[in-house]
Amino acid sequence: MKTRNAFQHEEKFVQFIREQKERFYLLAYNYTKNEQDALDVVQDSIQKAMLSLDRLENVEYMKSWFYKIVVRTSIDFLRKHKRLHVTDDDTLQYLTPAQEDVYEDVDLEHALDELPQMYREVVILHYFEDLKLADVANILNIKLSTAKTRLYKALKLLKIQLQDVKGETTHG
Amino acid sequence: MDEKLEEIEKQYNEVPIPKELDFVVENALEQGKKKRKNRAPLWLLGSAAAAMLFTASLNVSPAMAQTLSEIPVVGSIVKVLTWTEYEVKEDTYDADIKVPSIENLENKDLANTLNEKYRSEGKALYDDFISEVDYVKEIGGGHAGIDSGYEIKTVTDQILSIGRYTANTVGSSSTTMHYDTIDKQNEILITLPMLFKDDSYIKTISENIIEQMREQAASDPDKTYWVKGGGHPDEEVIDEFTTIKANQQFYISDKGKLVISFDKYEVAQGYMGIVEFEIPTGVLKNDLVSSKYIH
Repeated sequence: MKTRNAFQHEEKFVQFIREQKERFYLLAYNYTKNEQDALDVVQDSIQKAMLSLDRLENVEYMKSWFYKIVVRTSIDFLRKHKRLHVTDDDTLQYLTPAQEDVYEDVDLEHALDELPQMYREVVILHYFEDLKLADVANILNIKLSTAKTRLYKALKLLKIQLQDVKGETTHG
Repeated sequence: MDEKLEEIEKQYNEVPIPKELDFVVENALEQGKKKRKNRAPLWLLGSAAAAMLFTASLNVSPAMAQTLSEIPVVGSIVKVLTWTEYEVKEDTYDADIKVPSIENLENKDLANTLNEKYRSEGKALYDDFISEVDYVKEIGGGHAGIDSGYEIKTVTDQILSIGRYTANTVGSSSTTMHYDTIDKQNEILITLPMLFKDDSYIKTISENIIEQMREQAASDPDKTYWVKGGGHPDEEVIDEFTTIKANQQFYISDKGKLVISFDKYEVAQGYMGIVEFEIPTGVLKNDLVSSKYIH
């Protein structure tokens, strides 16, 4: 019975990965900002997941379980390559008062990237990957209340940025 | 959803998907399946299978293995020879699989059992590789490579530990090494459980390994393991290492120490490769049946 479950898990997992691979790539890419590194993260995540697939008790948790592995692998990757630490740059960039960004499009384009990682990942997982906030909290190993706060803050930050741009255009 | 969010989502989704993604994913799934199969405790005779690796490349080993062909023993010469070699050399497909054979053991049953195992596993590796190449050709070409062979890990008057490695040379995927340890004097295959009085060795060894993992992680930031205090923040350790398997891979070093090995990904991130831990004999002394092999 147990092996049978394991086997069914494997079939479902393979199917799930094949259908959603582009989503995982996008997520990994958002962390690594580099094509080759994102591919490595996807590969490492799949192999890691398959080795612990038997420990996944319920296939219904597969989605958030695997996202968790991708997020963790990405973060580990960033930690190992500290010199490429994107968060720090982002944070720095964010904390630096915005210079005159004249072009509306440019700002909108970078709005997500300018968000510090801790806010960005909540937005991505919740809105773009359609995960419940409780699952997002689980994936990021944070409390549900923290996830809510971060999401709220993220939206606020995004709005402020975007409003600023709007304000400028109406001025001009 | 908010208009701005939609715009941001669009940008998020517009990151180009590299065409290699399909291949990387399929390859990872294939390797993952194989590894899952290998994890089943199917070892003949519950045999001593162990994996080890130094983080470096394995290219060193075939040469090393080739030079080692004869091992003198009291009374007889136990030889390890290359029985057969599968080779594929095409532009982007590369296989080199050497199958060892143990010769001159008085105990023919033991020799046959091991040699049969080596041969059928070597053949299976080759067949798998060929079907992988077919698959890669089907999806429009790419790279595939495998390097498998053997090396003698330990030779003493008492012990012969032979290790067979398999390295998938495409991507950062698998590298494993399976060990068989033979008592040359009595001509028996040594398994992990038979070294100990009862099952309590599993707990003793596991606890010692966890301790070693924490020590290593604390003293060397490049080393991380899947245990609490193993170099990852606690909340990120989801597949925590808790215990070795009853027939965990192992070998006996030339100093008579027990060395426990883990496959890549088993207890640490992929970049750690295959990791091994020497268990201090003092820790084991209450569990050991005798100090004949381990001392």
